[in-house]
Amino acid sequence: MSELTWQHLRDLDCAAIRALGDAWKSHVDAMLDQAERLRTDVIDGHLGVEHYESDTATQVREQIGLTADRYEDDLSDYASTRIATTLFEAADAFEKEQAEIKELIPLIEQHDFDIEGDRHDYEVNLSGDLHQAILTLDPPQWLCDKVGIRKPDGFWDWDTVKALFNSVDLYGTAIELAGQYQDWLRSVMSRAHDADDEAAAALQEMSENPTELPPQLGATYDDLVDDYKTELSQEVADEAKAIADGTSGMSPEQVNQWWEGLSDAERQSLIEEHPEWVGPVDGIPTEQRDTANRTLLDNEITGLDGRIAAKEQALNGMDPESDEYEQAKAELDDLRQDQKDLTRLQDHITNADGTPKTYEATDQQYFLLGYGTEGSGQAIVSIGNPDTADNVNAYVPGTTGNLAGASGGLMDRTETMARDAANASSEETATVLWLGYDAPDTIVPEAMQDKWAQDGAADLEDFTKGIRATAEGEPSNLTLTGHSYGTTMVGTAAAQEGVEADNLVLIASPGTSVDTASALGVDEDNVWASTNDEDVIQYGPVHGEAPVNEEFGANTFTSDSPREPTEWWKFWEGATENHSSYWDDGSDEGEPNNEISRSNQALIVTGQEEGVR
Amino acid sequence: MSPTVEDAMSEQPPAAAYTQAESYAPMEAAVADLVTALPGFPGFERRLWAKTPCSHDGLDDPRYTNVEIEYRFSQEDSQRAEVREHYADVLRDHWAGLGYEIIADRSIAARDRTDRDLIAFRPADRVKLWYSVAYYVSIRIRSGCVPVSDLSEIAYVPPVGGIVPGGVKDQVGRYFPDGIPVEPTDPFESPDSYDDAL
Repeated sequence: MSELTWQHLRDLDCAAIRALGDAWKSHVDAMLDQAERLRTDVIDGHLGVEHYESDTATQVREQIGLTADRYEDDLSDYASTRIATTLFEAADAFEKEQAEIKELIPLIEQHDFDIEGDRHDYEVNLSGDLHQAILTLDPPQWLCDKVGIRKPDGFWDWDTVKALFNSVDLYGTAIELAGQYQDWLRSVMSRAHDADDEAAAALQEMSENPTELPPQLGATYDDLVDDYKTELSQEVADEAKAIADGTSGMSPEQVNQWWEGLSDAERQSLIEEHPEWVGPVDGIPTEQRDTANRTLLDNEITGLDGRIAAKEQALNGMDPESDEYEQAKAELDDLRQDQKDLTRLQDHITNADGTPKTYEATDQQYFLLGYGTEGSGQAIVSIGNPDTADNVNAYVPGTTGNLAGASGGLMDRTETMARDAANASSEETATVLWLGYDAPDTIVPEAMQDKWAQDGAADLEDFTKGIRATAEGEPSNLTLTGHSYGTTMVGTAAAQEGVEADNLVLIASPGTSVDTASALGVDEDNVWASTNDEDVIQYGPVHGEAPVNEEFGANTFTSDSPREPTEWWKFWEGATENHSSYWDDGSDEGEPNNEISRSNQALIVTGQEEGVR
Repeated sequence: MSPTVEDAMSEQPPAAAYTQAESYAPMEAAVADLVTALPGFPGFERRLWAKTPCSHDGLDDPRYTNVEIEYRFSQEDSQRAEVREHYADVLRDHWAGLGYEIIADRSIAARDRTDRDLIAFRPADRVKLWYSVAYYVSIRIRSGCVPVSDLSEIAYVPPVGGIVPGGVKDQVGRYFPDGIPVEPTDPFESPDSYDDAL
């Protein structure tokens, strides 16, 4: 676990880390030349068949060739992909969080707060001096300004009396600000620790799994070399499995480098023979993941036929009154539901001839980036290819989001977003339904809990890093759009893990797990919250400050517009204060919330924020 | 006590004027009507039927859906001032004259253009008419939340505005899995008389 303190982070020489990565890259390039020299100058040169022939000559040339291959692989896999890229990624992450620390620490100091506690759980508290100042009715100017009183000048006058009566406000205000800074500090440290731990994991996995060298020349060479070659051919599969299992320690960028380093035949072999190691993996290009996932989906639907038949047969032999029967019946119902949901998903994204379907409204193909049947079910479907699009908008649904919705209401919403973006800009936007986490099923108690967001945070982080890693050309303008608990999911990932997003859009949010936009690790100018008057967060902002509140510090955009009278003199038909809509978008009361919100969101996701209001 | 999914499902939403299946005809009629009001109407580029989910207390209610019919102008026509500005003004007056409520009329200064959202509301059936001026200009008719219908209950309504029924730009195919039910034309069929063609 990372031992980084805020002081370490502030003082870290990130340029030196980056320089080390550069040094390794240069080393790799130089050493690759050496590996090639072994082949050209040695194997084909002075030890070539023209100059060197003996009983063991063939073995010698083969062994040197295998050694050169191993050297080249290690340079690529270890020195370049693991060491250099890990150093670059760590430098980038630390630099980003260092900038935040350098902004935050002076603010904490200027406001007379103290940082206390463990590096994994810092507290920002009022300093003794600040306590004293408030108690002695000599609050600092900044606090007086915040509370709205004049700074007492030491005499018992009206300002002093006001300060006395406002002492609760003074304390409350100071504590609230300290709380926001604490939130921000903890988020920065969480992301820095995460980057540190990820870098360490990548390097550690490498050191714990050194590769084997070819057998040494000698009496046993012939016995051992065939085994070595067999293991070589298995290496790619072993690497792919470790990556898919999450045990490789590699980031999506590293995965992408590894993938690009494979031969066409190796990639094709993995897609065909082990689609389960390709489809769900962030860092592998979208088209290949889609191919693999469609194979997996098809196989699973077919496989469910057999499992359902087996379960039905088993039920026939059970006592219908028994608990065993009840359990088996429930399992059968689940299997049937899974098959129904998966088949509907497949039908939605696939033509009758098995080719990928296109969403006709935007003329973009559907790409399947992942799916699952655990819990409520998961589905990650992109309309358009995020690797080539100018903009990417990932919609993260909230409570009751499930696999069935991926071909139902959730997909309707995703398609609407795709259509709106296409109507708003000449640039291409890929719109992704990202239900890559187990969303809560109920408001009470599940949506009150943060565990669903906590469990999905690393996956959402990896998704955004994968988008960056597989981008062809310039990075896209990436937006995460959360809806309801989906905003808690987005906020938790952003605050704790860090997301590679340019914009966050938060609709109908019950809280994002933090109290201030500063803690989300994304430029606050690019954090947007909807002020939809019909936002129904009946259970209150249980996951931190509501992002529409001024204190949170996000941009807000309107989702409604003042009603206009049908005649100029019918002033009572104007904007009403008391909404009584049943539907959240106010459509039953003639509110334009949904339409205005859609216009604003389309401008944000297509990089036209200047038009938002 | 905070609502659960079950609570949300058990509450009664307001009665809708239509079911999903019943909403297409009057909504298409609204488009047919507005086309007649637009001077020098150039025709639409495409028609689309879509839907958006309905949510109550933050939860999507799968029993209801919000039908949306979209007719979009071509990109070339969408750049014309007549379509972007004049048509919006004409429709505002036209809808107000029909007794609809203008619930939104806002201009937005986007990067290199001026967008506009003009939205009218028909209280009688809660249909909204949205003239959306953006990179594309489109007319969107929205039903409000209506009970979901089975696909088999949805009848085809031919498009207006120059869209060829059942053609590539008549994007309603997913509602008719057996094919859009338009009358086929025999390309080799001879007319009864050639008199008018000579």
